[in-house]
Amino acid sequence: MRSRVPVAALFALLGMTGLGRAADPRYPDWPCAQAKVPEVSLAAVWAGPDLDDVANKWKDNATVSALVPRLAARRTPLDEAEKAIAEFLSDSPARKEERGKLLFAGLFETLNAQRGSVMSGLERITRKQREAADAIRAETLSMHALQDAATPDPAKIEQTGNQLLWQTRIFEDRRRVIKFVCEVPVAIDQRLFALGRIIQQGME
Amino acid sequence: MSRQMFYAVAIWLACAVPASATMAYVSNEKSNTVSVIDTDSWTVTRTIKVGQRPRGIEFTHDGKSVLVAVGDDDTIEVIDVAKQEVVDTLPSGPDPELFVQDAAGKLLYVANENDNTVTIIDIARRGRLGEVQVGVEPEGMAISPDGKILINTSETTNMAHFIDTATRQIVANVLVDARPRFAEFKRDNSELWVSAEIGGTVTVIDPVKREATGKISFAIPGLRREAIQPVGIGMTKDGKTAFVALGPANRVAVVDAMTHQVTKYLLVGQRVWHLAFTPDEKYLLTTNGVSNDVSVIDVAALKVIKTIQVGELPWGIAMAPP
Repeated sequence: MRSRVPVAALFALLGMTGLGRAADPRYPDWPCAQAKVPEVSLAAVWAGPDLDDVANKWKDNATVSALVPRLAARRTPLDEAEKAIAEFLSDSPARKEERGKLLFAGLFETLNAQRGSVMSGLERITRKQREAADAIRAETLSMHALQDAATPDPAKIEQTGNQLLWQTRIFEDRRRVIKFVCEVPVAIDQRLFALGRIIQQGME
Repeated sequence: MSRQMFYAVAIWLACAVPASATMAYVSNEKSNTVSVIDTDSWTVTRTIKVGQRPRGIEFTHDGKSVLVAVGDDDTIEVIDVAKQEVVDTLPSGPDPELFVQDAAGKLLYVANENDNTVTIIDIARRGRLGEVQVGVEPEGMAISPDGKILINTSETTNMAHFIDTATRQIVANVLVDARPRFAEFKRDNSELWVSAEIGGTVTVIDPVKREATGKISFAIPGLRREAIQPVGIGMTKDGKTAFVALGPANRVAVVDAMTHQVTKYLLVGQRVWHLAFTPDEKYLLTTNGVSNDVSVIDVAALKVIKTIQVGELPWGIAMAPP
């Protein structure tokens, strides 16, 4: 008995990916249900003093540049981050404001950059998925041609079938990963906002 | 007293809420729950499972129940405050979002967004009394202090409809800015405020003449205009100070309600949506949909003093009557 690849099911699967159906025409490769906001604006997360004078200085401060990646990492629980910020700000009460500004400038730059690279990664993988979808469609058609041949070649059919299976599996895995990664920019926004709020409260 | 009895009493005492505490109920649109906040300790004391997509939420006037519109279940659920669980439902019509009670607390007016109607419900009998046809996508609801006029804002036609509660007929329409979301009367009936999410303004209306008399605009340096989306409005009982939630601007605007000038912007949480005062008006609580928390504003000091984590996508908030 010949095993037939369920073509309709495959096409249905490819259709489900949402590829080529971007919600926002400005960002055709954006695969997420969440709206794409290319950059977080400083004013949306910070109501403290102006940061213009410290924008590029945070890296020169050894304590700040060590603290920023620790606070930015999502594996650091917020409670722990809050304690670290409080300790850092209370270390030198006279320079609290300056320290708070440096720290937030570092976090803003770091987390915005992280967010940007996650978003461009998502768009890159969407383009790859689109290519993979085309390849699976083509492979499925050639599989059919092999199956429908007057004298079918069982070895060739098996080889093509295996290849199709792998391509589909990779495609599906990526689809799951995309869905998961779509949550990351929002998680970064939330973290940036939460850290900014802790710093502003600590500066008061 | 047996040891078990002792522990049972100790646990009961630990869980029991002091009778004096005011409770705030917050609808969490995504997690399908209502968080109960004790305003003495500023902690969540209970999370109640409700239907799909809870949004509009209000206490009944007797303080015994909390009504919550669960839009995706096409109903309004009744939470028994003593039991802290859903005990009944009201026939709200399809996709209820916001609703308002009449002055006596006997009738409920519900905006049915997908049906272009306002459904009227008898709260005690749990029965439907009728409906009023309104503009496209009705949304904001308010009732005049004397209970004679019901205001309903229509999202698509950008109007505030004035509905006579006795005849259930529309008696006037006032144009406001794009996508009106929420309406609030001053207690002395001198002004009606309507927020417009896309227009980015609050229109001030004279409820007697039924015409717009002023407009409040908002500007925050560094923020694009479209990020400023006015939604919820909270006004002090004396009508002197108002607070307007500005959505993804993550701020609440403090407005001098006499001069209509913005005096301050307070950074609260992400996507701030609705507001509610404690009965003594010492504190104002805001729901912040993206940061999944509630901010507590000290009204006299105009400062955010506390942030409380709640469920996912907090939307509405109701405060127990005094």
